Amino acid sequence: MGTYVVRRVLGMIPMVFLITVFVFLIMHAAPGNAFDAIMNPAIKDIEQLKEQLEHNAGLDQPLWWQYVHWLGLFVTGNWGFSFTHHVPVTDLVGPAIRNTLILGILAEVLTIAVGVPFGILQARNPYGKFDYTSNIVLFCLYSVPFFVFAIFMIYFFAIDLQWFPAQGSTGTGPNAGTLGDHLYHALLPALSLAVVNSTVYSRYTRGSMLDVARKDYVRTARAKGLEEGRVFTKHVFRNGMIPIVTQFGLDFGNMVGGLIITEGIFQYQGMGQLVIDAVNGRDYNVIMATTVLIAIGVLIGNLLADILYAVVDPRIRYD
Amino acid sequence: MSENLLEVRNLKKYFPITAGLLRRTVGHVKAVDDVSFTVKAGETLGIVGESGCGKSTTGRMIMRVLEPTSGQIVFDGQDITKLHGKELRAVRPKFQMVFQDPYASLNPKMGIEEIIAEPLIVNGVSRKQATERVVHLLERVGLRAEDRHRYPHEFSGGQRQRIGIARALALNPKLIVADEAVSALDVSIQSQILNLMMDLKKEFNLSYIFISHNLAVVRHISDRVGVMYLGHMVELADKRSLYANPRHPYTEALLSAAPEPKRQGRRERIILQGDVPSPANPPKGCPFHTRCPKVMDVCKVERPALKEVAPNHLVACHLYS
Amino acid sequence: MAEPLLAIKNLKTYFISKDAEVRAVDGIDIEVQPRQVVCIVGESGCGKSMTSLSIMRLVPKPKGKIVDGEIWFNGRDLLKLSEDEMTDVRGNEISMIFQEPMTALNPVLTIGEQITEVLLRHRKLTKRQALAKAIEMLQFVGVPRASEIVHEYPHQLSGGMRQRVMIAMAMVCEPKLLIADEPTTALDVTIQAQVLELMKKMREDFDTSIILITHDLGVVADMADHVVVMYAGQVVESTDADSLFAEPTHPYTKGLLASIPSLEEEKDVLYSIPGTVPDAAAFPQGCRFADRCPIAQPSCREKMPELREVKPGHFVRCDLV
Repeated sequence: MGTYVVRRVLGMIPMVFLITVFVFLIMHAAPGNAFDAIMNPAIKDIEQLKEQLEHNAGLDQPLWWQYVHWLGLFVTGNWGFSFTHHVPVTDLVGPAIRNTLILGILAEVLTIAVGVPFGILQARNPYGKFDYTSNIVLFCLYSVPFFVFAIFMIYFFAIDLQWFPAQGSTGTGPNAGTLGDHLYHALLPALSLAVVNSTVYSRYTRGSMLDVARKDYVRTARAKGLEEGRVFTKHVFRNGMIPIVTQFGLDFGNMVGGLIITEGIFQYQGMGQLVIDAVNGRDYNVIMATTVLIAIGVLIGNLLADILYAVVDPRIRYD
Repeated sequence: MSENLLEVRNLKKYFPITAGLLRRTVGHVKAVDDVSFTVKAGETLGIVGESGCGKSTTGRMIMRVLEPTSGQIVFDGQDITKLHGKELRAVRPKFQMVFQDPYASLNPKMGIEEIIAEPLIVNGVSRKQATERVVHLLERVGLRAEDRHRYPHEFSGGQRQRIGIARALALNPKLIVADEAVSALDVSIQSQILNLMMDLKKEFNLSYIFISHNLAVVRHISDRVGVMYLGHMVELADKRSLYANPRHPYTEALLSAAPEPKRQGRRERIILQGDVPSPANPPKGCPFHTRCPKVMDVCKVERPALKEVAPNHLVACHLYS
Repeated sequence: MAEPLLAIKNLKTYFISKDAEVRAVDGIDIEVQPRQVVCIVGESGCGKSMTSLSIMRLVPKPKGKIVDGEIWFNGRDLLKLSEDEMTDVRGNEISMIFQEPMTALNPVLTIGEQITEVLLRHRKLTKRQALAKAIEMLQFVGVPRASEIVHEYPHQLSGGMRQRVMIAMAMVCEPKLLIADEPTTALDVTIQAQVLELMKKMREDFDTSIILITHDLGVVADMADHVVVMYAGQVVESTDADSLFAEPTHPYTKGLLASIPSLEEEKDVLYSIPGTVPDAAAFPQGCRFADRCPIAQPSCREKMPELREVKPGHFVRCDLV
């Protein structure tokens, strides 16, 4: 297992490297740069000033030089300054990661906490009344795009009922910044992601449980005289969760896309919001830093899922 | 002495085992380790052995669907071991395979006509001629001409095996490798297929390599029989000689362990202790020495060679040296 | 004769779906005496496995259903017990082992967990005591390194070892009846011999009766005291093992025995029973074997023959013998 993890981590390095090259090229292929975005066009001698600023920022150097320069600083921990926020990139990224992790983890927990038990209930009596009606509801929810769902949630729970804040990641007042406050702000965006996602999980869970229930070892468990409850918890459930764990690993990539859009809708100050702002403002240093971090996050997520897979299934051994 | 249709010389298949950070090869699974035999034209060679003995791997290498690690396969006077691409395609029609699970080896989305005609069309036979051939083959293997419009799932296991045989026969092969071809079938169906295969052999002048774990079935269909254990051929002899007078202690044990359907005059059973050792870590010396009831000191150090101890009776055992 | 341990009377197990009623088991009577080994033999689809699952009341729901009959075990009709009472019987008084020891064991639980589970369910033992008993039982069935194996998973064991584990699991509560459904079909011949030997030892040491379900008449000849031959959901012949092999009487039994290639004698052409088993959703009105029977008369197709006693203790479902 140890060598496996080391090999996987080593394998990530060229991957992250390629991603940075790719993002760097795309970023510079787009017209305009950070100064076009922030400079007042009414300034006198604007061209000269811009040239000066670009020279200071190294933007007049050849592209490869800029990339190597950036990479050299980046790996030594110097992630540069944000052109638009005028603070070091590291100061921006820290709280953003924290907020996104809170949102992401909450969304995953809700997804699984709703989806898996639902699937199990359906599998208990397949093609029964509950299975049938709940399937219709699930398919309806599944066919609603999650961002549409998010807007409905804001309308009902934030504006109409005023139970939750409509936007932001922290409030003001004495509770501001506490974990409870963070969770309170993350709940609505997390729910809007989780509801749609959990329909996928309940389908997977239902299918997986039904599949396992037909296995020979479940028959063996009954032949041993175990009661139905125990047959389920000890034999059906544990095996039925194995494909769910795999699905969970695959979800990391999907989740990132969903998070970026959700953070945008809820004006939630996380990585997604930061990426969107940085792209709009051509804030190169921020774009590069956030992209690298997201890429590493997804790769680590996949690795964790593979490790988890080996934990739940003793037949999986990495070497 | 009649012409050898197939000569297999020192055939080996090692599968690498990798480990560590750089996936270095740390050992080999010796699935087939230095096996040699011949098949004469019109002859049936049976290969018996337990799971993991390398009998199927051997069959697949002869079919050229698995690359041998080393050794030589000479088919009809031509060394086919190194043939690739066009040259290989040119000889392929001459050797065909019948599999254990006819359902898994028939594409469920293809109609029977398509399944049997496919190899013909690929080899440039016209549609019309192909259909005629399919009808002829179906009738020959005991199905009806109309069956060509149906799909694999509409047939029983025995019928599917007939389809598999018809497909193998389509290109007029000289050699058919049958890998556990009747093992999945019920006894009454098994005998139908065995009889069919024996009839077809005469009619089409075929040679068979009949791979099976079932000693009685192998005895029935074969002219000569080879016994494999842990990648090695341990005994190879004419059927009568092998079954009446098994020389290798493993063959003896295998024969005694297979239960005969009779109550009187059953032979004394030799119960071997333990399991077959892993081919990734085979024992030194004779591969069978860990379970052999007649083991001697020499068996633990030196591997016995396959030698002729009686006319047409080859054994790899130190008892006979 | 003494009071039988198990008496199945007119058992009918059907699979009922919207458009068909499949009569998997269609009115069978079987008795098992204490310490007796009864073999139920027949080909796939004859209802032998459904018979065993019916005794355990584990017929696949919701389609499978026991529609009629009585199963008397130790003075109680199992079909009248509540589900709770039945779980007390399973694994305790009657236990079962299956064909595929790989799929019959839970891949994510250790061997120890799977064996102790039975003990914790049926005996008042602590976990530690149960584990000690499990190790003892594994040693008893010949599993080496038992105290380590309890912490290992099924995939780490060989096929033969897995079946020993299954037997240990089934025997750990010392049941009065062991039902073994094709316990050696997936195993190699030499391993099969070991497992059959082990089952004989279980009968000797625990006074357990055994119902052995198999398609292999060789295994029957080796193990059986009494033999029940099933065909298309019915018992067609039932007698003690010696007379079955000495005087097979039903044409189906005779045909089966003649279809098996022999290890010891040369048969030029195997007998083969023509045709296939009738569809269990549409059995003919008369004798179900009539279409494949070499001696069938027109009368056979009109009326279903009764199972009648042709000699003391020898029952045959055929009017012509």
